[in-house]
Formats: sequence, structure tokens, C-alpha cells
Amino acid sequence: MEKKKILDLIKLEVLRCLNDKDKANLESIKAEGNDFPWKELGDYQNLSALLPISLELKYPASDMKDKTAMKLYNIRELIKAKIDAKKALEAPEPPVEEISFPVENIQEVETAEQIEVEEKVLVEVEEGVQYSSNESMNNKDDSYRFVGKFKGKSEVENPFRKAVEIETKEPPKAVVDKELVEKIARDYIKSHLERELETLRSTINKNKILSFILFVVSLLLIIALFFIK
Amino acid sequence: MTDNNPLTDAEIMLKVAGYDSKALEQLYDRYSPILYTLIKKIVTEKESAEEILSDVFVIVWRQIDQFDFKTNNVYTWLVTLSRNKAIDVLNRKVGKLMPDYDDDYEKEHIVPKLSPEIQALELKEVMNKKEKLEKALNGLTDAQKYVLDLSYYGGMDLTEIAGKMNIPAGTVKSKLQVAFGNLMQKVSEAN
Repeated sequence: MEKKKILDLIKLEVLRCLNDKDKANLESIKAEGNDFPWKELGDYQNLSALLPISLELKYPASDMKDKTAMKLYNIRELIKAKIDAKKALEAPEPPVEEISFPVENIQEVETAEQIEVEEKVLVEVEEGVQYSSNESMNNKDDSYRFVGKFKGKSEVENPFRKAVEIETKEPPKAVVDKELVEKIARDYIKSHLERELETLRSTINKNKILSFILFVVSLLLIIALFFIK
Repeated sequence: MTDNNPLTDAEIMLKVAGYDSKALEQLYDRYSPILYTLIKKIVTEKESAEEILSDVFVIVWRQIDQFDFKTNNVYTWLVTLSRNKAIDVLNRKVGKLMPDYDDDYEKEHIVPKLSPEIQALELKEVMNKKEKLEKALNGLTDAQKYVLDLSYYGGMDLTEIAGKMNIPAGTVKSKLQVAFGNLMQKVSEAN
């Protein structure tokens, strides 16, 4: 096909206006690879992307950044799975002996690790309750802050970042998985118990105020009784 | 639309590829106005445009491994991705028959496949071309501008444009090709 006709197809492809027949035609020309005008395709793709700069700029609402961060937070499991899959592809094949390792043993080890992790997480949550009852409501839960803003959460606290860092350091696999499981479990429990913790904290505060009021009332009554006598 | 971040788009993108959330925030700060402007022009509703904008950055985060770090064309990749996503939402909204939206569909139809020989573009240099592009667009006839608009921002195919303008699809096809070709010529001349 002559170059002009290919360019005409390219223009329509870039604008997403190709019909099925022309699309198939263009794909086959690309696949043939004989002198396909890749540079011109790139030029038209760039030209197409230039068009929006002629528009008057508009700005999204400022809270959109937070909403985006929330969406990113919600897909952290998916990203972790992607990183794991990538890691698995890069990792060498395990030796045959490891494959024939009894399944029961693996399950026992996993269960023991899981119990250990769950215990740690529960202890942390309990400690968190004690800690937070003495602190103001604004400065305690890092995972909450991550959801609030991209930058509210430090990179170390970022589950994606943490996964990547662990990958770079290349520690033994069991340690990596345990840390990740701990982190994920901690995030999960924190995010799910956050509301209950806040309710608990506000109840404690209310009780304190109520006790104080009752104390003052009692004191006033005692003084009144003293004067009456 | 200026930002004081000294990093280039490509440098930021490289950090995003390492799942650095701060880098993604920098990319958001730099690109959200132009992408939002484009998306809003396509879908018109503010809420819908904002939703698509945030989806675009989620797609960037999820599909960063699809970005070609050899050509490093961050600007065209992001703008094309945003346009594809906005048009996809628009088509689904008006009830067009579309395949299910899943990861494969996203990779095939939403994430751009840029030419391996594309010249890299960065937002800063692109914004300097605004005046030249406007001049080039003003050089097109009204009919050329109209078909280009319906196609680029309306997401319409040849048959839909033909139906709207009440002219044969073949005529629309040639009008679009001439309009886009002329625009390329004028932008190149302006350079």
C-alpha cells in the first residue's frame, strides 16, 4: 500500500475513527513491518495530544486529590499481588526437593506464623487503645492519614512502597511474607476498628465530663447542707 | 499552570514505576489541570469528570508497567489515556454496546499504544506551543474544525458523525483526513 494511504489510515486510527475493516488492514500492515511509518504515527499521536492545550484550563476540586488517594489505598492488595507476581516470575525455579516437601509441614509452619502475627497485631491494637485514650484525636493513626492524603503518609508507611523496599533489600522469603502479612493485617484491623476506637474514646471523654459535673454538684449540695444546718 | 518541581516528567514517571506515592502526587499536581480540562470537555459534567480524573491516576498506578520508558513520552501517554477513558465512560453512559470493563479491556482499549518512534513531549514544552496550535486551528475551515471536534471530543465514529451532519460516511472520512493533515502541516510550519 502506498504511504499516503497508510498515513490516511493512521490519522483515523489516532482519532479512534477507524472502522473494523480499516483497523484490521492497518494492523496487518504494521505486522508486516515493511517500512511502516512509525515516526509519522508518533507525530500524529503527539498532534492529537496537543489539541487540549487550545482549551481554557479548568481545575478539579481540591478534595479530588484525597479521593484519588483513597482509591489508590483501596487497590493496595492488587498492587501487592502484581509485585509478588513479578517477583515470582523473576525468581529462579525452586529445587525438586522443596516441591516434594510434605504439605502438612508447610501448613503447620504457616499456621504457627499466622498465630504469631495475629497475636502481635492484637497486642498492638490493645496498646493502640491505651495510647489513643491519652492522646488527642488528631495525631495517632498513620493509615488513616494515608487515606486522607498522598503526602500524609510517609513512604515507609506506604504499603506499596514498603513492598518495593522489601523487594530491593532481598531478605529471606519467609521474613518478607511475614512482614507484609503483619503490615496488611495491621492496616486491615486499624481501618476496620478505627470507628469503634473513636466511639470508645468519645465515650471515655463524655464519662470524664459527667463524673466531673456530678462531683461539682455533690460538692455544692454538701456546702448547701452545711449552710442550712 | 506552573509548578516548582525540578524533576522532569520522565523522572517522576520512573519513580511512579517504583510505586512511589509521592511521585504520583507530583504527577497529579502537574497534570491534573490539563487532563481535567480535556475530560470535562468530553463528558461535560463536573462530578463525572472528577471521577474519571481520579480513575486515570489509578490506571497510571496500576498499569505503569505498560508505559514505554524508551520513548518516555509522558505527556502524550497521559493525555491519550485520559481521552480514551473519558470517551469510554461517555459511550457506556449513552448506552453503546461495549465489552465488559476488565484488566484486559483496559490494556487493549484504554492504555495508549504509542509508536516506538514517537518523539518525547513534556508538559512544559507543550504549553509553550499553545499559541501556535491555536493559530493552526484557526487556519482550518469551520467544517473541518467541526468534524475534528465531533471526533476528538465527542468520541464519535465516522457513521455517527455522518448521521449527525447528514452527509455520507466517506465524506466525513475524507474531511477528517484533510483536517488532521492540514493541522499537522500548519503546526509543523509554525515550528
